[in-house]
Order: sequence, then C-alpha cells, then structure tokens
Amino acid sequence: MTYLDSGQSTHTLRLFRFGVLVLVAFIMLILRLGHLQVAQHQRLSEAASANYTKVERLFGNRGTIYDRKGRILATNRVGFDLYVTPSKVRDVNSLVSSLTPILELDQLGQLELREILMTSDRSERRVATRIVRDLPQDQVARIEEVGARFGGVSVEVKRQRTYPYGEIGAHLIGYLGRPTARELTSRTLAPDEMVGRFGAERLYDEVLRGEHGLRRFVVDARGRPQHEGWAQIASEKVSALQVPTPGRDIYLSVDIEAQTLAYQALDGYESGSVVLMDPRTGELIASVSKPSFDPNIWSGRLTAKAKREIDENPYHPMLDKSVKSYFPGSLYKVVTAIAAMEEGILDPEQPIESPGAYEYGNRIFHCHKRSGHGHVDLNGAMAASADVYFYKLGERMGIDTLAVYGGLFGFGERLLGINGESKGVVPTRAYHEEHSRGGFQHGLSLSSAIGQGAVRTSPLQMAVAFSALANHGVVYRPHLLLESSAVSSQLLEGPPTEGESQLIAERYVPQVIRRLPTASSNIQRVRRALERAVHDPKRATGYRAAPSYGRVAGKTGTAQVKTIVRGYRRLKEQRWEHRDHAWFAGFAPYESPKLSVVVFLEHGGSGGKDAAPVARKILERYQEDIDPIFDVGNGLELTANRRR
Amino acid sequence: MSEPGMSRLHWVLLLSSSLLCVVSVWNLDATTGLGAMGVARAQGIWLGVGLLSALVISSIEYHTLKRLAPGLYLGAVVSLGLVLVIGKTVNGSRRWLDFGAFTVQPSEPAKVALILALAAWLAQHPRPRGYTISDLVPIAIIMGIPMALIFKEPDLGHTLMIGFIGASMMSYERMRRKTVVGGLILGVISAPFVWLFVLKEYQKERILTLIDGNVDQLGAGWQSRQAEIAVGSGGVFGRGHGLGSQVAGGFLPENHTDFVFAKLCEEQGLLGGSLVLLLYLTLIMSILYTAYTARDRFGSLICLGVASFLFWHVLMNVGMVLNILPVTGVTLPFMSYGGSSVVTSCIGLGLVFNVHARRHVF
Repeated sequence: MTYLDSGQSTHTLRLFRFGVLVLVAFIMLILRLGHLQVAQHQRLSEAASANYTKVERLFGNRGTIYDRKGRILATNRVGFDLYVTPSKVRDVNSLVSSLTPILELDQLGQLELREILMTSDRSERRVATRIVRDLPQDQVARIEEVGARFGGVSVEVKRQRTYPYGEIGAHLIGYLGRPTARELTSRTLAPDEMVGRFGAERLYDEVLRGEHGLRRFVVDARGRPQHEGWAQIASEKVSALQVPTPGRDIYLSVDIEAQTLAYQALDGYESGSVVLMDPRTGELIASVSKPSFDPNIWSGRLTAKAKREIDENPYHPMLDKSVKSYFPGSLYKVVTAIAAMEEGILDPEQPIESPGAYEYGNRIFHCHKRSGHGHVDLNGAMAASADVYFYKLGERMGIDTLAVYGGLFGFGERLLGINGESKGVVPTRAYHEEHSRGGFQHGLSLSSAIGQGAVRTSPLQMAVAFSALANHGVVYRPHLLLESSAVSSQLLEGPPTEGESQLIAERYVPQVIRRLPTASSNIQRVRRALERAVHDPKRATGYRAAPSYGRVAGKTGTAQVKTIVRGYRRLKEQRWEHRDHAWFAGFAPYESPKLSVVVFLEHGGSGGKDAAPVARKILERYQEDIDPIFDVGNGLELTANRRR
Repeated sequence: MSEPGMSRLHWVLLLSSSLLCVVSVWNLDATTGLGAMGVARAQGIWLGVGLLSALVISSIEYHTLKRLAPGLYLGAVVSLGLVLVIGKTVNGSRRWLDFGAFTVQPSEPAKVALILALAAWLAQHPRPRGYTISDLVPIAIIMGIPMALIFKEPDLGHTLMIGFIGASMMSYERMRRKTVVGGLILGVISAPFVWLFVLKEYQKERILTLIDGNVDQLGAGWQSRQAEIAVGSGGVFGRGHGLGSQVAGGFLPENHTDFVFAKLCEEQGLLGGSLVLLLYLTLIMSILYTAYTARDRFGSLICLGVASFLFWHVLMNVGMVLNILPVTGVTLPFMSYGGSSVVTSCIGLGLVFNVHARRHVF
C-alpha cells in the first residue's frame, strides 16, 4: 500500500491538478498544431515556396540605332564587368593594393573598395558586387591573375552599349545610365539594368528595350539551384522559362556626316548649337550642341576624374543647347514683320524712318547702328537690321499682339520633348506683370519686337519657325525618328523574307502642328526680305552667309546679354558671359528650300561676323559632301556677294 | 508481501519511451548538416549510453540515492562553476565542457541532481501544516545557486527549466497562505526589475517577437518564422521523409537540435506531430501515475520532478516551434540531437523505473 492511501489525499489532489495542467497544455499544443497545419496550411506552404523560388531576369538585346543612311550610331558589343564577393576574399589588404595600380584607383576609390570588402552584413558578404563596368581588355588578364591569388574576384561578360561616333551627336543619340530610385519604382526595372538617358536612347527607350524574359527555378537557403529530392517535386510547380523579346532597331532622321560637319563648323567657338532641318517634313538632319561628351564613357566606365572634369567645365557639356532658350535678338524680327502686316499696320513697300535712336516714354531706345538707316522699307529694314523700324511696329502693335504671332510660329512651346527642352518665353503683358520687377512697362513692347526684353527662344524653335517661312507657312513638328523595325535586325539570319519585310518598317509620318493662318503674300514678302538680308549688295548684314553655290534667305542676330556701357564695348575686354549671343537662321536654296540652318554661338560675338560665316561653311560643305541642294549646273545666275 | 517480478517493470512507460527513441532516430535520419547519416547514428549511440545509465540507476536502492543526493548536488554545482571558467564557448555562450571526443553540457544533468536534492530535502523536512517563508529560504538557495550559475553562461532556457521544475515539485506540498500570497507579491514586484535589469537584449527581443512577429525579422523572429512555415507546410499528411523544403533546403536552422519538432511536423504532418505529442503525454502521465503509486514522499517527489522536467521541456520546445512561446533554446527530450540531453532524460526515466519497481517494498 502506498503511503498516500493513509489519508494524505491532499497529495493526490495535487498530483491530479498537475496532471490536469499537463493535459490542458497538450491539448493546446495539438490545437495549435492543427491550426498551423490545416487552417494556415495554404498560407505557410506559399511562404515555403517563396523561400525556395528564385526568379532570374533574362534581358533581351537592345535595338540598334541607325542614322538615315543606315550607319550605326549605337549598338551592343561584349564588355567585361568586374565583380567582388567579400566572403571569398582571402586577403583584403593585398587585394586592394594589387587592384589599385591596375584600375588606377585614387584615395576615394580605394576607400570605397575597402568598404565593400569589409562589410559586416552577412548577406552582403556572400553576394557578388559589381565594382567596375566595362574593363579594358588588357586589364582583364591582369585582374584575373590577382583574383586567383587573393580570391573573391570575378570578371563577368556583359553586353556593353557602344557609340562608334563618340561625342558627335551625343546629345541627340543619348547614352545609357543607371535608373534613379523613382524610375525603379515607376517602371518594372531591375536595379542592374540600364535605361536610356538623353536623346533617342531615352525617347525611344521602350522601343529599343524589347521585353524581359524570366527564368524561375528552385534554390536552397544559400541560393544554389537544386534538382534532387524535394527540389524535384517543387520544380514541377515552380519552373518556368519566358524567352525575352529583343528590342527593335530604329532609324533616325539624322545624317551623321551632316552632324559631323556641323560640329566641326563650330571650331573656334567654345559653346553653341547648330540645327539643320528639312523644311519640307520637319525631319532633323542634324542637331549639334557644343561642347559635347563621350557617351561611351557615360555608358561604361565613368571615372571620378572624368565626371569631375565634366561637372567643372564652364561651358556645360551635358546641356543640350539646341533645346535651351536664349535671347534671339534680331531673328525675332520675322515675327514682328508678319504680325504687323497681318494686323494691317504695316505696308511693306512704304519707307519708314529708322534713325540711330528713338525716344519713347522717358527712355531712349538705340539702334545697333548709331548713325541710323534713314528711310527704309521692309526689305531694307530686314537687310540692314534696322532696329527703330521694328521698335515702331512693336509700339503700334503692343506686346500681346506680338505674342500671339510668336505663339503661332511655335515659340513658347515644347516641340520635341527631349533633353530638358525649354519652352522659352513669349512675353505678354500678364507675363511681365507677374515676373518683371516693376511689372509691365510699355517700352517692353519695343524691346520684344527686336527679340530682347524677356523673349527667349531655342535654336530648335528657330529652325521650326524659319522652316515655316521656307515652306510657305507649314509649322511642322520636328522629329527624330524615321522608322523603327518590327523585328530586330540582330535576330534575322540573312536578308529578310517577304513576310518579315512586311513587318519591318514602321515609318514615321510628318506631323503638322499648324498652318500659319497668315496671308501667303505676307509670308512671301518676309521671305523676300530675308533673301535681301543675305544678298542685298549694299546693306545685307548677312552677306557672309552667302555660299558660292546659290541663294540663301536668312537673318543675322546679335542678342545683347548685358547692357553695355559706352567704353566697354571692345570684345576682347569683355568677360565671356557678358558677350552677345551670335545667331544666324536661314534656309536654302531660296527658290525651293531643302534645308533650314540655325547657328547659335553662345556669347559668340556678332551674328554677321561670327554666326553667318559658320552657316556658309556648313552650306557649302553640305552641298559638296552630303547632298547637292543647290542646282548648280542649271545656268542660274549666282550673285557674287563680295562687299568691301 | 512480494509481487511477481513482471510488475516491477512499468510497461506503459517502457513502451512509450522506446517508441519515442525509435521515432527520434528515424526522424534524425536524413537531416542536413553534420553529415546526415552521422547524426542518426550518433543519436543511437547516445541512446544506448542512456539506456545503460538508466539500467544502472534503476538498480540502485533509492535510499542510497537519498544519501548520495547532497554529493551529486555538489558535483553539479561544481561542474556548473567549472563551465563558467574553462567551458567551451559556442555562439556566444559558455555551456559545454570539452572532453575531446565529446562535449558535456552540465546544465542537463544538473536538473536531475536538483530533482534528487530537492526531493531529499523536502522528504527530510516535512511540514504537514504547510511551508512557511522561512522554510522556503533553504529551498530557494538549493534552487537558486544552480539557477544563478546557469544564468551566467548565459542560458535563460535552462534557468527557467530549473525554476519550473522546482516550482512544480513545490506545488506538491502545502504552503501557508502567507507564503503563497507573499510569493505572488514578490513575483509581481520583481517582474519589471527582471525585465529592465536582468534580461539581456536578445532575450527581450525574443519575447517581443512573440507578440509582434515583425519586430525582429532577421534574428530570433527569423527562426520562429521559418519553423512556423515548416510546420504549416506539412499539412495533414506531411511532405514525406526527407522531402520537406524548409529542412532539406536549409531554410530552417537548428533543425536537428532545438527545432527538430519542426522537421517532424514538416515531414510527417499533423498525423505524425500529434502522434508524437500523444506519446509524450502518455509518457508524462505514466510517470505521474508512478508518483501516485510510489511508496513514500521521496519517491513521489522524484517522479513529480522527472515528470515536470519532461513536461516543461516539451511545452517550451514545442511552444517555441509552433510560435506561441518565445525562443528559449530548450531541447526536446529524446528527439533533439544531443548526448547530454538524451542521457539526462534516460537517467530521469531510470529514476522513475526505480521508484516504480520498489513501490511495494516496505
């Protein structure tokens, strides 16, 4: 008999109580077990599957960019990227000191490399991190040797974008860069992927990019692919392969040889832009912004040194000046002229007095020629660029009316939508009330009439406007794309079959923004005036633009940036930023124009002396090397323009 | 009066514990890490050692045990102290003594030593009218010294185990009302102090993770989360032996030691898991039955001590795996891989067999 029988029933009770506790606890455990394995089974199985499923992105080949004649502007080649895996590096110090001379690392570079290699985050240590893009081939062998000695270094073969023409057309073609944080979230991009920046690479990024594929497979906790046992069963549900679609090739309207000659024509000037446009369609034949940059470096290996040099360049190579806006100066007079004729306040044949100065209000408005021009009609005023003639028109019209016509030509509008394009300014009374100190003053109608005041236009807008004059009144939307192929040429083996040919071209059709609602006779009068501005033997300010092959219609412009005090006028004494902008805009040949030219020299000096000769050089070389736009062998008399 | 020899064997206990041992080895087969085969084999060897020890223990007359208790207790305290000085450090805590071919974790056998010591003390100092506070002082010291030493390792799990085992054994005895009330008040007052000054950061984190799983996704929270996924994805029938993605793919850490129950659940499902839990329940209940039929207080207390040792371990471990209790690093007796744990559990069973066998002897 146990002692418990002898009446110490309290112990029995306590044992019983403990037993009940045990039973209740186990019931709870089994219930919880059931909850997890039945009620939560679906959710937790999915969590398990998420653990072992790895998705790998497969990238399609990016499309090639061609110019209008089929020359390659951007394509893909093989590149070598350098990766390090911190956990595999055997000797950090030796590795860093061995890599420094090969990669030419500076202090900062060494520090950054060290930081990556010494990271204490366990998951980061096991991951291969890219530290250099696009290694030069001679470095690859040396680096692999270093890697063999110290571990943790690997060279991966990657597709690398290459731009055969380097800095020619860099703003127009663009380059590839890493996506920003915002782009990563708004678009479905991998952090390792590159996106188009600038120009065509950016504008047509979706077309060029193609579509990703993906590969889904089973991995273990270390990320290694698994196939046996449990992985085999899992694979049946998880494995997937989606083949990527390659990107499409595109053909730009640009002629790279024209682009090159336009770029070279700017020799001697540090900063500026040239725009060549076909006035019959709005196609951009060339668009130059100087100084330029090498997109190969920006898409590949941009060293800290190179970036610093670019950031510190006072002429801002990364800005696309063809779409930034500046004071247009006398070029704007074409707007004033058309506006005045349309409004009926100007008779183009009637001579108007245009002295050297004009008093208005309590200010004196000067002409660029101190002695004035006497009485001139429209042709004379345009040819000699008589300021007072236009002041008077502006005074009679008012700034708002002028602004209406400016808007018709496309000024104040974003036309192409690339490279941070500026809308420019076509000022109205309201504009000045809001933005100018002192609000609107009537004198501003006068300054605006000659393209000063607050008027701001871009070389691209100028090209569109002058093209509208060239083609008798159609304002075309400027465009860059000629056609895109439906199938990437890199995918085709051999020449395309008939079925493929049908798919290939997706041609762009010229878009008309508007037809000028102005009388065609008025347009013709302005055209004639512009022709005189280059070819009038006595007064033409643009005579230096006249090529030896035919007739050009155009206008010079010298835009004042800073009010000049007498005595400070000598060019050489002025600081660069204070010098006038030099412009020339025109079209050729005069009778049936095939090319519009805009030359802009930032702080370049004088429109007549500096910009016009550049235009001449371009037109002559275009005629000789690219496309004979002037009909030379036809017996047309060429006006030989040699004054003084 | 003598009983036939057969009834000297506690059949239910023997059967349930044997089954458990078989399941343990079978479950450990094909785990990842430590060389899959090696683990099962090693566990088998340890179980053999444990079996031997149990046989030895069960044949000692247990009054001899009563006399040996203080010595064993002293030995345990000394080895706990030794571990703090020359112990092997693993993962930031010093819990093991290295003997070359194998390591011993003294906090495991210390539990058995404590059970014996406490049972002996209580048996020597009966208080039919209930224990007063002053009576509890020596008991607190007996429990407190090993608890403090273990806590310093640091090993919160085993500290708690000793505390729970002691408290369970004390629940067998009557206490004065004042004692109970005083104890409760002391507990309530000391809780915030313990939280602020005694508990380490990661220990606090573990408790907080329980309440809000998002608190520590990458540390203690990670383990609970992966264990939960392993258990849940097993479903009713399990994924099959060695075919569970969480364990075989290496996503669940400690899957042969602390989280071995998760492996069982992933591979054998609800059926396997609840069967094993029922085995444990049977085991513990049969030990309690032995406590009921024991011939004296000493025997009852020993059985209650062993029963509570197994109970609290199973509760804390399975609760941790099922993510309803904080992670405390307490092993699952017989199922977790580990020589010290296995042998200690076997010795505990040996004690119970001992008490059972002598229940009729006067």
